[in-house]
Parts: sequence; structure tokens; C-alpha cells
Amino acid sequence: MGEVDPAGAWHADREVLAAYRDGRLDVAGRWSVEAHLTSCAACRLQARALVDPAQLRRLRAALIEAVDAPRAGVAERLLVRLGVPDHTARVLAATPALRGSWLLALTATLAFAVLAAWVRRGADATLWFLCVAPLLPLAGIAVAYGPGIDPSYEIGLAAPLRSFRLLLLRAASVLATSTMLAAAASVLLPGFGWGAAGWLLPSLGLTVCSLALATMVEPLRAVGVTAGAWVVAVAVTVALPSPSSVLFSPAGQVAFATLALLAGVVVLVRRGRFETDRGFDTTPRFAARRLR
Amino acid sequence: MTAPAPTVLARNLTMTFGRTRALDDVSFELVPGVTGLLGPNGAGKTTLLRVLATVSAPDTGSVVSLGLDPRRTDMRLDLRGRLGYMPQEPGFHARFTAFEFVDYVAILKELHQRRARHEEVRRVLDLVGLGAVRRKKIKTLSGGMRRRVALAQALLGDPDLLILDEPTAGLDPEQRLRFRELVGRLGEGRTVLLSTHQTEDVFALCQQVMVLHLGKLRFAGTPLELAGLAQGHVWHSHERDPGALGAWRTGTGQHRNIGNPPAGADLLEPTLEDGYLLLLGGDRVEEVSA
Repeated sequence: MGEVDPAGAWHADREVLAAYRDGRLDVAGRWSVEAHLTSCAACRLQARALVDPAQLRRLRAALIEAVDAPRAGVAERLLVRLGVPDHTARVLAATPALRGSWLLALTATLAFAVLAAWVRRGADATLWFLCVAPLLPLAGIAVAYGPGIDPSYEIGLAAPLRSFRLLLLRAASVLATSTMLAAAASVLLPGFGWGAAGWLLPSLGLTVCSLALATMVEPLRAVGVTAGAWVVAVAVTVALPSPSSVLFSPAGQVAFATLALLAGVVVLVRRGRFETDRGFDTTPRFAARRLR
Repeated sequence: MTAPAPTVLARNLTMTFGRTRALDDVSFELVPGVTGLLGPNGAGKTTLLRVLATVSAPDTGSVVSLGLDPRRTDMRLDLRGRLGYMPQEPGFHARFTAFEFVDYVAILKELHQRRARHEEVRRVLDLVGLGAVRRKKIKTLSGGMRRRVALAQALLGDPDLLILDEPTAGLDPEQRLRFRELVGRLGEGRTVLLSTHQTEDVFALCQQVMVLHLGKLRFAGTPLELAGLAQGHVWHSHERDPGALGAWRTGTGQHRNIGNPPAGADLLEPTLEDGYLLLLGGDRVEEVSA
């Protein structure tokens, strides 16, 4: 197993070190060799000669990576589990909108809308929920990307990753998150039925519409205009004798699907507008969230 | 010895914000090495650097960097892969550590292979002397350290063209010395353009210097040539010379005057700062004298 030098010190022989290198030793043997290597320079030298330097570099790099790599957050780990590549997960996790505070605000808004539906209990009990739900992804997109919102917006513009791709990734993640939460909340509505899904197409239509507008004006303003238009439409609808029949009727749904389609075409045609700064004000809107 | 081929060719750049002409028919060439961009606040330095970094597109004029024209989408993306940009006010995600932030920018630079990307992040953080604090949240780092995090992200991928907007702002003298040493090394074989208010940085670091004032390029040459503009225009006297464009009392108790010296004046060897102040004219010199 080993040999003793003239001074009486024990050393691991070449065969033992080779077995250690190849992983052929049992646990006790491995520990024994490792404990000895930490205190014996001669054996370390001999062991080094048995190992391919390239393999050693690879192992060292793997070790550093295992110890040093940043720990992903909960959302990032979840995305990776769902099959999202780790670099995409990191980009999504950096979305300013997808924070605990935004998710909390989203949940609270939905809870109030559901509560209001239970209090009204009438024919239009779900109306307020249907009106509020499409605004949720808009609020998220407003703080997902853009000058003054994304802390590293300017650095991102100078990077080869297309800003349009970044915007789409973040918009999709915000839309997916708010849609899942709103869908879960709609199950809790009184008299749950297909009518409770009437917010889905308006939600999609308004989201794509705000992206199309963002090719012309500052993203935050685009969202503001879209949300304002929706609120006006809702106010007009409520004033009508039969409110729920207009925005959420089959005709209304077709109109929102068409709007989503047309706005999508505008976004695609004008996507190049996202690739450079257009003189927008980059002053941070949320100073506490950003460090200079 | 032949002159090195230019790596950046800017022609007739003009950019207007409302009534302000931030760039006014600016043309220049950059060669490998470190070039300093001097100019007072509002001169158009940041606008120019943003154009070179492909963040903004000029109203008119063209830039060809590393043989690539950013007006063409494919070339712009290629160019972005080969340039490093440190903005004047880089924003940081508050919850990121230094490592995570630089890693995030590495992803934006499309370094997708995880282990290779992390190695590159470690390399650039070590290069700027932040290896030991890489796991600290950026919000806990000092202002000087944050500037170095911003510099580290610009160095990702070993870019051929480095654009640094006031990189020495907020650095203490020791950090500034380290920075000069680092940028001096980076300038060997690649093109570095840095804007600064510090004429001593330019003198210590730069082979070339440009002066921008009110959107116009007022000077392009070597630091010695800029200092040479004040040759015969700097003198000292016991009292402030009323005929000088500007004057200030130095540590020796004498006054250093800039302008047209009186006959028999005791002329001094001009510095780069003298040349810069004289170039910008009386307004700036008055500002210094005040």
C-alpha cells in the first residue's frame, strides 16, 4: 500500500496514487490518501506528476464554479426547472416588474375585485373583475423595461442582445404571471363560468397595443395611454343600460382579438425602434430601486 | 514608421435636442491607443460617446467603427459584440451582487455558456481589483467600487473598442492611479476613448486628445500639441495681471496668468490645462479665476 523512506516517514506509493486518481479506492482509502496528501509535499509532487495538467485545470475550474457561482433566486430556479435556459431565466429574473411587491399588489387588487363581486352578487357581479383584470399586465409592463425603469437600460442598449427580444421576453413573463394569477382569481368568482374568462382577450389586446404604442412614444406613456383608453371604455360601458353586453360580448371579444392582431403587426414592423435610444428621459422613476 | 490605420471614422455628426445642438458637424478619426475627450459640462461629450456606443443614432452624419457601419442592423449587432461601454451614470440592480450584475451584462452580451461566462466575469472583476468583493451586494459598495463594477462590465469579452464616460469621477487618488495603470495597459493594441474633466488624467494616459465645446470639435491632436497652444501665453507675476484672460494664485504665492502677456513678462512653460483653458476662451478662464 505504501513505502517508508530512510527517515521512517510513510509515503503513498505510485500504484495507490494512481488508484486514487482513477477513483478506484474505497472511501476509507480515499480519506486516508487525502489526509496524507495535505501534510506530505513529496507525495503531492508525485500525485501531481500522475495527473494530466489539462484535466487538473478543468477540475479546478469546475471546483471554483461549484463554490463560486451565484445562487439563483426562487423565481430563477423555478424557471430553470421549467426548462428555461439559465441565461434567459437570469434576464427574466432581472425584470424590474417581477418583484415581490408587484406580485403582492397584483394579488391584493385581484382579491378586492373578487370581494367586490361577492358583495354585489347581482347580474353584473363579475363586471368589476372583468374590467380590472386587463389592467394588471399593463401595470407590470409599465415597470418591466425602458428608460428610467430598467436600471441597466443604457448598458443593455449597447449590448448585442436585441432590446426587442428583451422587451418581448419581459412582456411575455409579465403577461403570463398576471394571467395565471387572474385565472386563479376568476375561479373564486360567484357563479364561475365561461363568462369569467371575458378579460383574457381584452388583456392580450391592450398589452400588445401598449407595445405597439411604445414604438412611437416612451413605454411608460404608451401604457398610460392604453390604460386610460380602457378606463374610459369601461366608464362608458357602465353608463350603458346593459353594461356587460358590450365589452365582453362575442363582438367585443372579436374586436379585441383583431386589435391584438393589428397591434402585433405594428410591433413587428416597427421593432427596430427599440434598438436605439430615442432621446427619452432616463431619469429613474423609482429612485429607491436604482443605484447610481 | 507608418501611422496606424484609424479604427473609428466619424463624419459630420450632428445631433439636436430641441433647440440645443449637442453635436455640430463633428468629424474625427480614432486610432488604437487611448484618446481623451475633454470639454466643459454640456459640451456634448456624453452625446458623442452614446453615438459611438450605438446607444443613440445621430440626426445626420456617419460613424464607421472597426469597419462596421451601425446604421446596418447586422453590423450594429456585430459592433456591439466588440465594444465595451461604460456610461456616465450606470444604473445597477440594487439586489444584485457585483458578480451577478456583471454576469447579467455578460448575458446581454450573449455569453451564454454558463461556465465560460462565469470565468469571464471573474476575470474582469479581478482585472479591476474587485475579485475579493464580488459576492457583496452592489448597494453596500463604495462609489469608487461601483465605478469599477461599471468598468468591469465594459471589459467583458475583451472588446476592441472601449468607450468610457467619465470613468475617474468619484475615484480617490489611489484608485485613480490604479485606473490609469489599467487603462494604460488596455490601450495597448485597442482603441480606448474616455471623457473626463481631469486634464491630468489626459496628460498621464492619453496619446491623443480631443476638445469639444458647445457641440463643436475645437481641437484634435496630442496632449503636447494642446499644451503648445498656450506657448508664450502663460506668465507669472507677483500681483494678478489685469490684462490676463485669467489668473490664479499658486502655492508659491505668485500669480499664474493666461492670455496675452505684457512686454518683458516672465513666461512659463505651459501645461495641458493652460492650453485647454486658452482654447475655450475667456469665459472658461474667468470661471477658473473666480
